[in-house]
Amino acid sequence: MSQNVKTSRRGFLRGTGGVAAGSAAMLAGLNSAAQAQSGEPIVIGCPAPMTGAVAADGLEFRNGLQMAADEINAVGGILGHPVQPVFVDTESRGDDIVIQASQRLIDRDNASALITGYNLETGTAMHDVVADAGIIGMHAMTVAVHDELVMSDPDRYWGIFQYDPPETMYGTGLLQFLKQLEDDGQFTPPNRKLAIVTGPGTYSVNIANALRDDAADFGYEVSLYETVVVPVTDWGPTLAKLRSDPPGVIAVTHFYASDQAQLMNQFMNNPTNSLMYLQYGASLGAFRDIAGDNSVGVLYSTVIGALQDEIGTAFADAYRERFGATASPNSGGQTYTAMHAYAIAAALAGGPGEPYEEDQNRLVADRLKQLIYRSPVGTMRIKPDTQSAFAYPTETNDPSLGMPHIFSQIKDKDRDGVLIAPAPYDVGSFEMPPWMES
Amino acid sequence: MTGLQRHLGFGLLVVVGFAALPLVITERYMLGEIIVFFIWAMVAMNWNVLMGHAGVFSLAQLLFFACGAYGVAMSVTFLELSVWQAIPLAATFSAGAALLVGMACLRLTGAYVALLTYAIAATVHILIITETECFTLIRNNCQQLFGGSTGFSRFDDFGFRPLLRGNWVLGHYYVVLAAFALTIVAVVVIIHGRLGLAFRAIRDNVGYASSRGIDRKTYQVAAFAITAFLTGLAGGVYAAHFRFAGPSLFEFSTLMFVLAMVVVGGLGSTWGPLVGTGVILIVVEVSKEMGDARNLILGLALILFVMFLPKGLADGADRLMRKMTGRARRGTEEKPPQET
Repeated sequence: MSQNVKTSRRGFLRGTGGVAAGSAAMLAGLNSAAQAQSGEPIVIGCPAPMTGAVAADGLEFRNGLQMAADEINAVGGILGHPVQPVFVDTESRGDDIVIQASQRLIDRDNASALITGYNLETGTAMHDVVADAGIIGMHAMTVAVHDELVMSDPDRYWGIFQYDPPETMYGTGLLQFLKQLEDDGQFTPPNRKLAIVTGPGTYSVNIANALRDDAADFGYEVSLYETVVVPVTDWGPTLAKLRSDPPGVIAVTHFYASDQAQLMNQFMNNPTNSLMYLQYGASLGAFRDIAGDNSVGVLYSTVIGALQDEIGTAFADAYRERFGATASPNSGGQTYTAMHAYAIAAALAGGPGEPYEEDQNRLVADRLKQLIYRSPVGTMRIKPDTQSAFAYPTETNDPSLGMPHIFSQIKDKDRDGVLIAPAPYDVGSFEMPPWMES
Repeated sequence: MTGLQRHLGFGLLVVVGFAALPLVITERYMLGEIIVFFIWAMVAMNWNVLMGHAGVFSLAQLLFFACGAYGVAMSVTFLELSVWQAIPLAATFSAGAALLVGMACLRLTGAYVALLTYAIAATVHILIITETECFTLIRNNCQQLFGGSTGFSRFDDFGFRPLLRGNWVLGHYYVVLAAFALTIVAVVVIIHGRLGLAFRAIRDNVGYASSRGIDRKTYQVAAFAITAFLTGLAGGVYAAHFRFAGPSLFEFSTLMFVLAMVVVGGLGSTWGPLVGTGVILIVVEVSKEMGDARNLILGLALILFVMFLPKGLADGADRLMRKMTGRARRGTEEKPPQET
């Protein structure tokens, strides 16, 4: 399938392959030109949820960052200084723990930058710690509240970057995707009912609310809006409601991989004739591990996931070779991308600053704002006002200038879902899930 | 010198010692960790009064802590009060909530109090984390009335950042130290005053205490309300320090974490919970370096304490002291008289 943006896929991928090779070469070139090489390590702090509800993601964040650091060190580090990642577990808990972990990385470990994927906090826990220390912070919290905060005081939050687009892209993005499937004749919903199942977190609620608010514009009637207590293993009550009034589409915005897997295991005992969309969690290997054959047919999307092109596939293969067949490049690719982007920006700026060396770190921030970095998860280009990544195709129709909101469908329990939208990154097309009547 | 005066004097020494600490420790992270110590020590000391002295096995103490934190967060976010106004208000709200919980527990004793108080706390927790309806929009972001599963963040703090700039944490340090000092004075006065005597009389023999005119219901509700006020105060300063209040503050793991401080320190003592808080936080800090082994080490430390020092460090120190003074006394007795 293809979306509105028509691009020559082969030609586009040929061009971007060169950019990826060029970015590593650029860092190596900058390193060889460096005059002073003291060899003092540059500490990169990573406060990540390595235990608790979202540990599956947190461990991948650790792996992705470590892999990137090793690759950077193999070409001489940053201007001759090796990169040394330090990890602190945030226990899948809230702002207080993330603040303590971040402060510890700065004061104890002398971190020049904090790089993480996401934590289970309100979306801005790291921001003041980073601003007070005058360092760089990079996260993929995927929240609009980051944009609002940065715009409210750009002079204070100059150093904090969200290297993926905010969650506001998800709600309408899904409805547009469904419309495109219908327009292309690939999918005709059995009815116009849309069931929304959300977790209680702001991220999930914001996506669910956007879906609910826009559903009517796309001809859908919200037949169920259900909030589940997380973590949830018993989906019986929710499934009973779904089975009593089967919807054409089920959208689950609660994103824990293990909870989603349990849902599929219980749903498949007596499936309804409904398309099943699961927010983000299904992109992780842990989901397919638990759900097994029941994962086949599920749709999911993410605004920061490993692409299945030359760059993305090479990364995914290397990642799995190093961390095992069940490792998830979708989440490992996040911190991997941020680490590489930071290294290039820091090298271009003449090296990173230490904590409280604001002037030097501002130079790194300036380079990051100007960087267009093509990574395994797409192009990271930072919006100057919000310091979040541009989204493709919602905010730019040029795939080389935005991070794609990708839709995938699981077709084999032993492999990542097949990327089915948007062009030019699609490598397969939508298939009716095995439990649905065609 | 009476026991009360002696303990107040020791408390003064503790507070003065901590007040002087920033002269030696300047690292923001360490000062932040000491602030966390003050706060959890306040909770542990009050829990010790309620459980160790009044004999009420309540598991709602973290709920009262959360009442303080949420009270500050909601007052500042929705009513636009300053934290200085919000903290006493939140502590009073916490005491009010405890009055209701205390009255609900009046007809119960022992494990039944624990069950009911835990059930109340768990119910409130579930009600909060399942709340999804937006009460208002803050920075275009959905904000639930009770914060939902993520809670409240980024509300105003003590206001030291523009005043002290890079040293704002010192302002927080001394404000929380003041609350900590207030808690020490209150707890020592309760434990070593007439109120503490009444609490212990009820704990040890309700029938005998009643026959001497001590009304169990009145004192039990008073124990709930007083300790909840001070625990709510701790919750309030916690929220103002971190600019955060969320449901993780009173989930089961946090409850066990603070309970461990009380148990390790010594239930029924005066200073045990303070020591227990310090020990547990040091164990947590050291085990952070060990990654995944942290929870294992914390669990192991708890098992060792329960097995070898079931009455906590305070009792262990007490026995050691008695043994040493006893030996010294025996040594003196055994000495042959000196010829002059």
